[in-house]
Amino acid sequence: MTEGPRVAKARYLYAIASTREKQSIGNIGIDESAVYTIPFKSISAVVHSCEPRPYETRDRALAEGWILEHSYVIDQAMKLFGTVLPFSFDVIVRGDDSTIEGWLCRNYDRLASELQRVEGRAEYSVEIYYDYDQLAEEALRENQELRELASRIEKEPKGRAYMLKRTLDQKLKEIVASEARRQVDRAISQIKSLADEAKVETKRSQPPEKYRDKRLIGSYSCLVHTDSVNKLGDVLEEINALSGFAVRFTGPWAPFSFVKLGDAA
Amino acid sequence: MKPERESCLVEVLDRLLEKGAVLSADLIISVAGIPLIGLNLRAALASMETMLKYGIMEDWDRSSRESAQREELPLAEDEEVLFRAFGYLQSQGALSSWLPGVWHLTSKRLILWRRSPCEVVFEVPLREICLLEADESEGCSELDLIYSGGSARIRLTETEELRVALDRVLRLRAENYNDLMTTDA
Repeated sequence: MTEGPRVAKARYLYAIASTREKQSIGNIGIDESAVYTIPFKSISAVVHSCEPRPYETRDRALAEGWILEHSYVIDQAMKLFGTVLPFSFDVIVRGDDSTIEGWLCRNYDRLASELQRVEGRAEYSVEIYYDYDQLAEEALRENQELRELASRIEKEPKGRAYMLKRTLDQKLKEIVASEARRQVDRAISQIKSLADEAKVETKRSQPPEKYRDKRLIGSYSCLVHTDSVNKLGDVLEEINALSGFAVRFTGPWAPFSFVKLGDAA
Repeated sequence: MKPERESCLVEVLDRLLEKGAVLSADLIISVAGIPLIGLNLRAALASMETMLKYGIMEDWDRSSRESAQREELPLAEDEEVLFRAFGYLQSQGALSSWLPGVWHLTSKRLILWRRSPCEVVFEVPLREICLLEADESEGCSELDLIYSGGSARIRLTETEELRVALDRVLRLRAENYNDLMTTDA
């Protein structure tokens, strides 16, 4: 897609980073494109030059490859320059280096303060799962109301027993959900106070195999300062140690969920 | 507990396609004069449907798709569902009752299908359908179906929608038929 460096008609944006240096980062971009920085004052755009058309394909492996390459560039930029403002996949600006420089110039205050906001921080994702069957078993053992219902079911004739069973299942669901929540409530508020910002994720991605038979209580994206990561880990360990609970803790990621440039011009 | 950095594709996909900075295309064009030309694939990939088309989420989707297919009405290869609504068919016989199911109008048939047990309760090929009309005496939620093999009474809320859809597909078939005739001639 590229025709020699820095002459093509568009720039593919990976990230905005805190660096004043114009530098080559190597052929690590999409399709081995040469990635480099375009600086303005204390900030730079991390880009590669490309033709002014989006990356599009119906080839699954190719699209996956592009996305992993994009992700790799962001990770490398984080290593080199600290926390960056990551761009989404396939954000391409028509123009050359000076176009980008002009954009950085016009939005300098905005971008610099966004970079400052995330400096020394990274995004972590926290997902809290529980084992419904295990908690349900405990509830059936310990909850008076449920125990009574269960024993009545055994005595009643078939039709009534069926109706009672439905009531029991409904009650059990409610009790298990609120019990699960009660057990982690304190921890969740600790998580929120340890994070500079936290967002509840509503869209659920596919969790790895070991969580698949469990139910999700909550999924959070957290912007966390490096100094607080260990403390966050400790809080999560407490939840993880609770019988019937499991926590998935991933990161550090570039602050994908916390970067807001929507109205930057 | 230490955070893991799995290079799990789904995790990366979620972030790169759904999150991260984007530039508002409108703004870029109107204010700054930098036309934003990307975003297409991002937008396309972000929608689940397109992801499936692109095959990106194939592994994830295979099991859910298979289970959906098990529950879905079996269709011929070139058959397409045009209209679908819950409804009833009046059973024939001494004691008439209403059999529940989902009415499907496809490009080939009108079918009442029941999910569980998975069963085609009633079906008639489109070419055999003579008439589908509202029974005025019963209000507007019942239709009389006359087809070459007999007749049936249908009950559903969306009577008008079904009639319109049937009308359209029959007309389309007639036109195709005419086209064929003309070409042959």
